Amino acid sequence: MSALLERLAELGGVQHEFKGMTSVTVPKRAVLDALRAARADGLEMLTDIHGMDYLTYPGHTGKRFAVIYNVHDVAGRRRLFIRVDLDDGETLPTATGLWSGASFLERETFDMMGVVFDGHPDLRKLLTPEDLEGHPHRKDFPLGETPTLFGDGRFLDPASFRAGLSGRDQGLTGWKGGARDGVVASQTPKAPGTAQRPEKSGS
Amino acid sequence: MSLKDLFERDVQELEAEGILFTSLQNLVKWGRSNSMWPVTFGLACCAIEMMAATNARNDLARFGSEVFRASPRQADVMIVAGRLSKKMAPVMRRVYEQMPDPKWVISMGACASSGGMFNNYAIVQNVDSVVPVDIFVPGCPPRPESLIYAVQQLQKKVRGEAFDGNGVQLPMVEGWSRS
Amino acid sequence: MSKGTVVKHDTELGAFDTQHMRINVGPQHPSTHGVLRLVVDLDGERIVSLRPHVGYLHTGFEKTMENRTYQQGVTYSNRMDYVNGFAHDLAYILGVEKLIGARVPERAQRVRVILTELNRIASHLVFFGTTLLDMGALTPFFYTMREREVLQDIFESVSGVRMNYGYYRAGGLYRDVPEGFEEHVRGFLDSFPRYIDQYKTLWMENDILLARTKGVAVLTREQAIDLCLTGPSARASGVELDYRKGQPYSGYDDYDFHVPVYTEGDIWARLAVRMDEMVESAYIVRQALDRLEPGPIIDPDRRISLPPRRELENSMEAVIFHFKLVTEGFHPPRGEVYVPTESARGELGYYIVSDGGSMPYRVKVRAPSLANLQSLEPSSKGGLFADMVINIASFDPVLGDVDK
Repeated sequence: MSALLERLAELGGVQHEFKGMTSVTVPKRAVLDALRAARADGLEMLTDIHGMDYLTYPGHTGKRFAVIYNVHDVAGRRRLFIRVDLDDGETLPTATGLWSGASFLERETFDMMGVVFDGHPDLRKLLTPEDLEGHPHRKDFPLGETPTLFGDGRFLDPASFRAGLSGRDQGLTGWKGGARDGVVASQTPKAPGTAQRPEKSGS
Repeated sequence: MSLKDLFERDVQELEAEGILFTSLQNLVKWGRSNSMWPVTFGLACCAIEMMAATNARNDLARFGSEVFRASPRQADVMIVAGRLSKKMAPVMRRVYEQMPDPKWVISMGACASSGGMFNNYAIVQNVDSVVPVDIFVPGCPPRPESLIYAVQQLQKKVRGEAFDGNGVQLPMVEGWSRS
Repeated sequence: MSKGTVVKHDTELGAFDTQHMRINVGPQHPSTHGVLRLVVDLDGERIVSLRPHVGYLHTGFEKTMENRTYQQGVTYSNRMDYVNGFAHDLAYILGVEKLIGARVPERAQRVRVILTELNRIASHLVFFGTTLLDMGALTPFFYTMREREVLQDIFESVSGVRMNYGYYRAGGLYRDVPEGFEEHVRGFLDSFPRYIDQYKTLWMENDILLARTKGVAVLTREQAIDLCLTGPSARASGVELDYRKGQPYSGYDDYDFHVPVYTEGDIWARLAVRMDEMVESAYIVRQALDRLEPGPIIDPDRRISLPPRRELENSMEAVIFHFKLVTEGFHPPRGEVYVPTESARGELGYYIVSDGGSMPYRVKVRAPSLANLQSLEPSSKGGLFADMVINIASFDPVLGDVDK
């Protein structure tokens, strides 16, 4: 593994360890070389490609998105996470040339996070319906909750009930119980009493 | 003897010889309720419990649902078992429209009845907004016994024996009277 | 080559043209194991190309779990792969425990292994029932469901529900197993070998099944690695990956068991792997049950697990811990973890990202069925349409796992 990590450091990779997990952040131009180097070192199975949106991560400086490639060996003992930091709109080269099983994984990352992979044979939405615009796992995409109707006729926004618990919103009570420094609210908290009746959901 | 008594005596004699008398409406009610064939519309976890309702321990077939027809053209009832995603909703509407009248819908489980624990962008919050539902079954997932009870309640409704809390009869379902 | 491609044939009866036909299979279909849609191009009965369209059960699990506390996440994880709920629960809880640094007591680990392996047996029983149903054998479904009912009784006695359990907690279990659990499980284990023999005689040696599955839809080892295939389907092609041996979690290195690996890569091998795995799982459960000792079932650290109710009468600190845990939940430190586990379908792992709050910042589920679905096309190409139906079944996709 150390030979591989040296090779990745040559490509510009920065190593990071957390609880036994090794991850290397490589620059965008070196992604395919890094994957090839990992495969040559024996980490020949690609398990997952997924995206991360750090928009509301407290204290995050740096680019908004990260794409993480999860490679491991056939015995399952050695594992490496290869990360790439991206801004909105930046594209990555596709890994389908190395593993044809990357096809669905990249399509899912595109669908959920909006990361475009150049050279992918068929990059289109995988999981969401055709008429859904946007990328659901981005932090600025709302969860889309339907307000709850109470017995006395009030409609309440469900997020208000959870508010304060995560420190992201203050919701109905204004309790700042879990508030932490640097937390950016992902959705603007509604003032009490302003929730409206939802439109009748049709087919 | 009055005409009515004479008629009753004839009926009893003929019944002793094995001839049954009924009205056409009752015959239709009996036939429809005792052979409701569901269309396979299992979506998620409730589908596994629906399969469990057909196994040897909780036998749904003894109540008339002998086979689950894969083709909607041969089915009477659609048991929506599982969470309905917005991508699947038009497909479900098409399958429902392909079923011939009279047809009924059982919405099985919390996710089909109200969105369940998934109050988000991807799940239809009540299947009733896509197809008209006759019976809602609570549970996550409902036990097979619950599903069997729901089928029995639907059978009662079809026969015209279902009454709500105030004693008002729930309408016997006529396929052509529903929009 | 696609729909409408004209193929010219020159035979002794004369020359004629045929066209490729495009057929849509699903999403509502009796044999697609859920709401899977396939668009198949056929040349006669031979498959030219096969494209799966998924997403008909997309539920937005990951985004919903970002808005629930870590403890509430357990209610969501088992509804993804609903046939093998304990595996998802375990993978999620192991990730949370790694993040927060919980120490799980030994009794809890052994009970978890017992329940997860019994759940693996239950999942494989559903697999056999539905695969044979797709092949036209209607009776084996009732045989496997008979065993599954016994297992679901065990799960119900432990967690209260037959399916979609919420039994694991960060740090251990929600409550101890009930009286009679051991006898219940031993009763099942004692009767199980007889049923396995019954299954092997009934279908594994059946001529029709052998004719339909031997040499059909072969996937070589290189193809399996290239397609990111994991789990029993990969072990049927010679990829010897099993996380219970490779990266043991929850005490799996304590138990002596064998991982079946076949090299043929055809449908029969995928069936045989799962049949052998059921036997091995029963053996693991027996070993875990023999070594089950009385003891605590949850990490005593009050910042992670609820105090026992008796303590609430006497201790103010217990009341405060209880309040904080129930309203807000625990706050793991910042970081990102991934714990790979072996579910009945393949490698399952939850990549959990914490920002220090009581709700995860991001949960990414590495669901095995989505990656396994990509193996459908290479293995079905060139084969018959009827073989495609049992090929889908042999990869054991569960659409809740695919679509999340």
